[in-house]
Amino acid sequence: MPDIESFSPRGMFHEGWTAEVSDYAIACGWALKGKQFIVGDVAGGIFAFEGDTGKIIWKKENTHSGGLLAIAIHPEGEIFATSGQDGNVQICNCHEGKVIKTLDLGKGWVEHLKWSNDGLFLAIASSKKVSVFNEIGEEKWISEDHPSTVSAITWSNKNELATACYGRVTFFDIVNNKTNQKLEWQGSLVSMELSPDGDIVACGSQDNSVHFWRRSTGMDAEMTGYPGKPSHLSFDDSGKLLATSGSERITVWSFIGNGPEGTMPGELFHHTEPISSLAFSNKGMLVASGSRDGSVVASFLKNDGNGDPVGAAFAGDLVGAISWRPDDCALAAVNAKGVVNVWEFKVRTNLFSKGFK
Amino acid sequence: MSIKDKVPVTILTGFLGSGKTTLLNRILSEEHGKRIAVIENEYGEVGIDQGLVINADEEVFEMSNGCICCTVRGDLIRVLGNLMKRRDKFDYVLVETTGLADPGPVAQTFFMDEEISSEFTLDGIVTLVDAAHIDQQLGRSDESSEQVAFADVLVLNKTDLVSDDALDTLESRLRDMNRMTRIIRAENAKVPIETVLNLSAFDLDQILKRRPTFLEPEYPFEWTGVYDLDAGKYELMLEEGPDPEMSLVALANQGESEEELKDGAECSVRLYAEKANTLEPGNTIPYGEHINLKLEDKGNKSFILNIEKPTKIGLFTQHTAEEFNMKVIKSDENNEIPFNNERFWQAEHEHDDEVGSIAIERFGDVDPEKLNTWMGRLLSEKGVDIFRTKGFISYSGNPRRIVFQGVHMLFTAQPDKEWGNEPRRNQLVFIGRNLNEKEMQEGFDKCLI
Repeated sequence: MPDIESFSPRGMFHEGWTAEVSDYAIACGWALKGKQFIVGDVAGGIFAFEGDTGKIIWKKENTHSGGLLAIAIHPEGEIFATSGQDGNVQICNCHEGKVIKTLDLGKGWVEHLKWSNDGLFLAIASSKKVSVFNEIGEEKWISEDHPSTVSAITWSNKNELATACYGRVTFFDIVNNKTNQKLEWQGSLVSMELSPDGDIVACGSQDNSVHFWRRSTGMDAEMTGYPGKPSHLSFDDSGKLLATSGSERITVWSFIGNGPEGTMPGELFHHTEPISSLAFSNKGMLVASGSRDGSVVASFLKNDGNGDPVGAAFAGDLVGAISWRPDDCALAAVNAKGVVNVWEFKVRTNLFSKGFK
Repeated sequence: MSIKDKVPVTILTGFLGSGKTTLLNRILSEEHGKRIAVIENEYGEVGIDQGLVINADEEVFEMSNGCICCTVRGDLIRVLGNLMKRRDKFDYVLVETTGLADPGPVAQTFFMDEEISSEFTLDGIVTLVDAAHIDQQLGRSDESSEQVAFADVLVLNKTDLVSDDALDTLESRLRDMNRMTRIIRAENAKVPIETVLNLSAFDLDQILKRRPTFLEPEYPFEWTGVYDLDAGKYELMLEEGPDPEMSLVALANQGESEEELKDGAECSVRLYAEKANTLEPGNTIPYGEHINLKLEDKGNKSFILNIEKPTKIGLFTQHTAEEFNMKVIKSDENNEIPFNNERFWQAEHEHDDEVGSIAIERFGDVDPEKLNTWMGRLLSEKGVDIFRTKGFISYSGNPRRIVFQGVHMLFTAQPDKEWGNEPRRNQLVFIGRNLNEKEMQEGFDKCLI
């Protein structure tokens, strides 16, 4: 990408809108191609706002007794799913928030939800089991018990689901009900991200390291030296850069050339307290980070993982989640006090660069 | 966030049937003004009657480096990670572990995981013991002895099912295993709430304020007699007894009240820690010194006590007076002066269990570098077997007392209050499995200046 070098953005956060939910906001996402923004709070309140204005469209409280744990918004359609401590998953309509289907997964907490990229399947992690349902809530597949509670799930392609738990990552072909691959490592894996082509598997580990594997070669490596556990990971859309949390700095590993093995990571020192959320823009090399100190920063990265901030704002309290609008022209952050901030994100450039208007 | 803002967590351990759930319900039903969240690993027969109860299966996560101190409890990290977002709903957390849980990883979770340690503070480990069954359990399983070893408070429960004599024996066995714990006897888990909650057992500053010494009393002497003596010369006369020698500390101005006796005992414990001077029969007994009476000869042996002005003398003796038919006799009148008051003490004795406590008490200063080297080596070699460490040390050149504590290899040391006029001394307690007391004491002695 030689054109990236001449790209010199002067972007910034512009005032957008703010709103409030009832409790600590833990999950958020854009629905209806950015027309709607959905926020969930820890107590089980769910709120839908107009994407442009922040005007409330609908809200509901106490959706999951004991509290909400996850939200997943359908990539194409007009539905989203929520899960909670009650062991239930609700599939809801975006327009009114009405529950279309409630799935009872049993007694355990349902902590993770992921729609497949084409939106045909919803993967659900509940305690040691993972199951897959279709859009109308019919069970299509269920796993055996994992060795421990499943800590992360993600789709590697339309029929293949990756799960992480203590000691291993497993790839399941959920259509043919078989295990495609097992990657083992004695450690508690707390987070997982796949590169967009599905080859690189990166996991944050409880022992304050990032472990990754290349599925094609079976090679693996461990990146140590983090002060805390890297609970947040994000790949850029080209799969070149992996941004990781684990302290107040953002550590970025570059997979260009022979890296990241044997290379020094890029490091971004923007925050005074540990990173609490991390997300690359949908296109391009912009990474947004939120911190326990309440700051939100967008940084433009170079191929080596280093980079400069292009915009910053204060969200008021610990940033619970951040989300780029699908067109990358707005960034949303929700915080521990239940405040929602949405900024217009504008990058002025001399050259056209894909992903930015 | 300061420790004051962190949510305190009490860990409740004990074998199945020891009464954990009963105690839990007792705590929850009491009017203590706290909103308590409960994390429960054991699905007992007795239900818990309260709102915020979270069930979680215990998940012990070892790390790839194989280091035992990095082993944490994944279930607690998950549940507490969620609970910290609900801080407006509770101000205290109780974790009830399964009967077979190893308390090490539970405790370590609060030190090893940054997210958890930034929001929660481990307040204390409370272990319930079924007085009727613990003897067998200790013989059969490592877990029960580890639960005893880790405890800040041991609740000796179901005492109504056991005789007083058996309880005394059991208590002394438990005391041998863990000398820094507080033992509370209870029927039906009935204990005052303040003895199990808000202990700040991991906040050494607090503990030392309440209890100037970590060690629960266990004395190197069995008996004290207080004698009211006029000025003059006296003889301490002993017949043949069970030992060819006996240690003794004589204190002038010894009061007779329980409090004064305990003060005297505390003072004598320190003196007993020093090397004894040997006295032959006929020698004069000095005051405020650890001495060792030679009693090898047959028949009566006399030692001299000189009293300059009327005072009460306290004799803190290794064995009871009765064992040697010990008497105080006024020399010129040849009449026996009976003691005004006597007190028996819980004496040290042999340790049978693999798990035990080692206490090191020494006056003087230590060389910080030597101590670090010694502790570093000790914990890396024996860290697996050392469950808990607590103590305070006097660093040479440092006006403040250094307090420290550890769980396995995890170890923290911090400066505490200034010594002031107090004599400089060191007190260390190690609780662990198969520890070599002599070796450790010698190791520590080499760090002394």
